[in-house]
Amino acid sequence: MSPAGCSHVNGYKVDNWKQNLRVIYQCFVWSGTAETRRRKAKSCICHMCGAHLNRLHSCLYCVFFGCFTKKHIHEHAKNKRHNLAIDLLYGGIYCFVCQDYIYDKDMEQIAKEEQRKAWKLQGISFCFLSENLMLSKWGEKYTTWEPTKRELELLRHNPKRRKITTNCTIGLRGLINLGNTCFMNCIVQALTHTPLLRDFFLSDRHKCEMQSNSCLVCEMSQLFQEFYSGHRSPHIPFRLLHLVWTHARHLAGYEQQDAHEFLIAALDVLHRHCKGDTINDNGKKANNPNHCNCIIDQIFTGGLQSDVTCQVCHGVSTTIDPFWDISLDLPGSSTPFWPLSPGGDGSTVNGESHLSGSTTLTDCLRRFTRPEHLGSSAKIKCGGCHSYQESTKQLTMKKLPIVACFHLKRFEHSAKLRRKITTYVSFPLELDMTPFMASSKESRMNGQYQQTVDVLNNDNKYSLFAVVNHQGTLESGHYTSFIRQHKDQWFKCDDAIITKASIKDVLDSEGYLLFYHKQFLEYE
Amino acid sequence: MSKESRMRATINQKLTEMGERERLKELLRAKLTECGWKDQMKAHCKEVIKEKGFEHVTVEDLVVEITPKGRALVPDSVKKELLHRIRAFLAQHAT
Repeated sequence: MSPAGCSHVNGYKVDNWKQNLRVIYQCFVWSGTAETRRRKAKSCICHMCGAHLNRLHSCLYCVFFGCFTKKHIHEHAKNKRHNLAIDLLYGGIYCFVCQDYIYDKDMEQIAKEEQRKAWKLQGISFCFLSENLMLSKWGEKYTTWEPTKRELELLRHNPKRRKITTNCTIGLRGLINLGNTCFMNCIVQALTHTPLLRDFFLSDRHKCEMQSNSCLVCEMSQLFQEFYSGHRSPHIPFRLLHLVWTHARHLAGYEQQDAHEFLIAALDVLHRHCKGDTINDNGKKANNPNHCNCIIDQIFTGGLQSDVTCQVCHGVSTTIDPFWDISLDLPGSSTPFWPLSPGGDGSTVNGESHLSGSTTLTDCLRRFTRPEHLGSSAKIKCGGCHSYQESTKQLTMKKLPIVACFHLKRFEHSAKLRRKITTYVSFPLELDMTPFMASSKESRMNGQYQQTVDVLNNDNKYSLFAVVNHQGTLESGHYTSFIRQHKDQWFKCDDAIITKASIKDVLDSEGYLLFYHKQFLEYE
Repeated sequence: MSKESRMRATINQKLTEMGERERLKELLRAKLTECGWKDQMKAHCKEVIKEKGFEHVTVEDLVVEITPKGRALVPDSVKKELLHRIRAFLAQHAT
């Protein structure tokens, strides 16, 4: 099985062989156009038995198609002394003298080019569930990676290698507190451990269009380089802090800020600075801030559906708004938590049993998505009745983001008081968002109470990967975070100190910001 | 040709003509990778190569060894989904 091909192809490589070979690929192996497909459908059958299965091969020297499995092509090869054939399924070249598939460099090159051409014509954008998600999103079909000359050169000049094993701590790095900056540090830890974001930055996908040095996306890119450099000393994020102060003035200053506010501000600035990376299907730059396709939107943006139902004519007015996070009210705040309004079912969801007194994340989500009677003092103008009527409003998820961030509203800033709600809310490692989807609500309304468990639909399943916690009071407090490494290893990040944590530590913690990642990624 | 094989040939022709065959191939490829089938087969191939010796193994050896195992290990859910797709396609394009 020599990679250099065999000498028996030399008899074939005469005259216009390259063009002939291309025609065979275009017509019978990878048919890109409707015409070639029609021809392939009609003519690609065995000349001896008429079957189209059985690993059909085409003779390279004459027009003959024969089964490989039934040895029909072998007979032809022997009788006519035509020693080369091509596999119509995969395009491999078979040599009957060598009695194996051979890999001739020139022929391989032609095969690759013809295959690419056919894919382009068919417009197949390939779905492949791996970290190659980003590459394929730009419209190229997945191929295995082969280094270019330049990459081989770089690898030779930089001989140091890092091996990633199950216990290695690459990607973990402490962050120095620059004066109450733990609110920023914990968010940085969460972001640097968001797998899709990490892949985007480590594969150099950001093309900066900003003239000045104040691009936050570039700084994030630098940050990822620092985190994955293998250095074990804590990193000092002074440049990041400076950029944040520049672009989000309301967060500037040395007093303690809210980590959730920082998250939203950071996502907003990153989204705005990603202009250079947003390319829509036509290869043109997307100018519309509402239909952005930047990495931040791809990962974090979901769609929240709000349905307002008129109580008189039952007409529904629907709006869908984008969101980066879901802020959930907690029991113990001034707004009443229980009881659930009609529409909430008491079944167990996500494997959490409802222990009396212990609130779960699912409880909070159910409350968030329950129909709410807007009182008589808040009548909405109904398009159907053409007058102001009482109505109910209900929120559901229309489109789920790849990373869902839940914000437990622990800080109460009402007119009466400013306090922190420390009620324990239990949250799961794995979360199924199906009951909170707009589509689920629709099937419930249509009377389908028992939703068939669609095994193939894993779209709504999420895994926890980061938790941000706040210790202390509203006046003086400290933020720390738990982040997930290598599927089931957790680490506690307390500014510059990183320690190993158990899953129990994570799940027993109070929880302020919860980051969940979709388990299965699909293309649109 | 028997009636069944004639029907098969006709269906195959229709699928190829409309480009559906290629799309189904891609779907199948994705599903089989997703469920780990591809990795299983890769591992099995490596075993066969070790057994027969790197210098002497032919593609034919591998085909003979992994075809029965490969066919048996395709998950039922994948078979079901593809059948469903083919049925849907035929229903849409019935002459």
